[in-house]
Amino acid sequence: MMRTNTGRMPLMVCSTHSSGLPKLVATALATFVLLASLYSVAADSAPQVVLNTSKAGPRSVEAQTESVILRDYKFAWASLEQALESNSIAPVNGLFAGTANAWFTSAVTGQRSTGLSSRYLNQNHKVEAVFYAPEGDMIELHDTANYDLQILDGGKSIHEEHVVVHYVVLMTPGADRWVVRQLQAVPQF
Amino acid sequence: MSSSTNTVCTSHKLQRGLWLSTLALCLCIAGAMAYAQDADLRAPSGAVAGNPASIATTGGGTATFYLVGPSIAVKRDVKLGEEIALSAKELQSAGKYVAIVCSGSCRSVGFFVAPAKPVNLTFLVHPSRAPVGQPNMVSGVALPFDEFHNLVLAPAPVDFQIAGAGVAPTSHRVSTQNGVAWFHTNSGRSAGALQITASINDVSTRRVVQQVASDPCSLRIKGQRNDKGFMVETEPVRDCTGNPVPDGTIVTFTAKDAQGMDTVDAPIKKGIARAQLKGSGTVTISAASGVVMGNELRLGAQ
Repeated sequence: MMRTNTGRMPLMVCSTHSSGLPKLVATALATFVLLASLYSVAADSAPQVVLNTSKAGPRSVEAQTESVILRDYKFAWASLEQALESNSIAPVNGLFAGTANAWFTSAVTGQRSTGLSSRYLNQNHKVEAVFYAPEGDMIELHDTANYDLQILDGGKSIHEEHVVVHYVVLMTPGADRWVVRQLQAVPQF
Repeated sequence: MSSSTNTVCTSHKLQRGLWLSTLALCLCIAGAMAYAQDADLRAPSGAVAGNPASIATTGGGTATFYLVGPSIAVKRDVKLGEEIALSAKELQSAGKYVAIVCSGSCRSVGFFVAPAKPVNLTFLVHPSRAPVGQPNMVSGVALPFDEFHNLVLAPAPVDFQIAGAGVAPTSHRVSTQNGVAWFHTNSGRSAGALQITASINDVSTRRVVQQVASDPCSLRIKGQRNDKGFMVETEPVRDCTGNPVPDGTIVTFTAKDAQGMDTVDAPIKKGIARAQLKGSGTVTISAASGVVMGNELRLGAQ
C-alpha cells in the first residue's frame, strides 16, 4: 500500500504541475505587480526631503548628525501628514515638542471638532541648515516645501491647492531623536 | 423623397440640439463665473499675531466660512457682502492661514500672520561649569519670542552682558539673524560665578556659569618615612592662574624601589593629596595629575 501510494504521488504532482503551472505563474506575477505598484505608491507618497548643511554655523554639522536630522525631519512630516488626515495626534507623539507640539495638538483638536481634515500630498522639501548652535543643542532649518494641500469637510473637498511654503524650523536633540520645536511658515526667508 | 426629408430633418434637429447644448454650456460657465465673483474674498494685509483682523467678502446670502491655520481650524456661518471678523485669539500663531468660503462652490484665500513684538528671550548658555582661562569656553544662544511663542524673525539687537569673578564686565550687542543671536567668550581667570545676561528691548534673561579651577599647573610633593613605609603629600595644588584645584581631583603617587613599584591614587582634600606608600631601601617617589608630573622625591634607607 505504501509503495502504491508513493508511486502515485509523483503522478498527482505532475498532473497538478501540468494544469496549474501557468495559473500559478500568473498569480505570482499578478502578486508581484500588485506589490510593486503598492510599493511604488508608498514610495511616491513619502515626503521627499533634501537637506543641505554646508552653510550651517557656527558649528559644522557632523555627517551622522545630518543623516539623523534628515531621517527625523522626514519622519515628522510623514507623521504630520498622517495625523492631520486622520485627526489623531498619536502618529506624532514624541516627534514634536514645545510650541510645535502645542500648535499641532490644537490644530488637530480644531479639525476634529469641526469635521475638517487636511491632506499634504506629494511633499517635496528642500531644507537648508542655517544655524547650528556651538554646543550642538539646537539647529535652525529653512525648509522650502511644496505639496498639494487638500482640505476636506466631512470627506468633501473644499480646497485644493499646490503650494510652496517656506518654513522656519527649530529642532533640538531628544533622548533618541531630534524633535521639532518650532514649525513656523513665513512668506519668504 | 420621404427618406431624404427625414434625413434633412434629423440633421437640422441635430444642429439645433448642438446649438442649444453649446448655449446651455456657455450660460452655465457664465453663471458659474458670476457666482464665483459673488463670493470673492480679500485677505487681511499685514496681520500680526494676537491682533484682530477681517476678511472682506463680496456677494450676498449666507455661506460657510472655514479658517485653517497653524494651530486652528474653525467653521462658522457668515453673511456674504460683509466683513468676516477674525478674533485676536484666532490669529495667535504666526504662519500661513487659509480662509475658505463655501456657498454652493468654494472660494479661498491665503494670508500670513507675522509674529508680534518680542516679550520672551530663550537663552541657552553652555557649559554650566567652565574651567578658568579657556578660550571660547562659554557660549550663549538667544532666541526672541512673542507672547504667543512665535519666533520673532525680524532682526533685533540683543545685548549680552558678562560680569563675574576675574572678568571685566563686558557687553556685546549682536543683531538677531533668522531669529537667533549668539556669542562665545573666554572663561575668566578666577573661580566663581559668571553672570551672563541677554536683553532685548525691556526683556532680559540671566544665566550663571560656575567657573571652576582648571587642571593642576604643577605638583610639588614632600614625604617622610614612617612605620608602614612612606607618607607623602602634595603642597596645595593650584591651576595655572592660582585657583585651588577642586577637591576630589586625583593625584597618582608612585614609589619605586629595588623590589618593584607601588602606586596609589589619592583624591585631593582641602587642596592637598596624601598617600601612604610601601617600600624599602632607597625609594624614588613621583606624583602626577592629569598631564602634569610633579617633582621626584628620593628617600633613603632607614
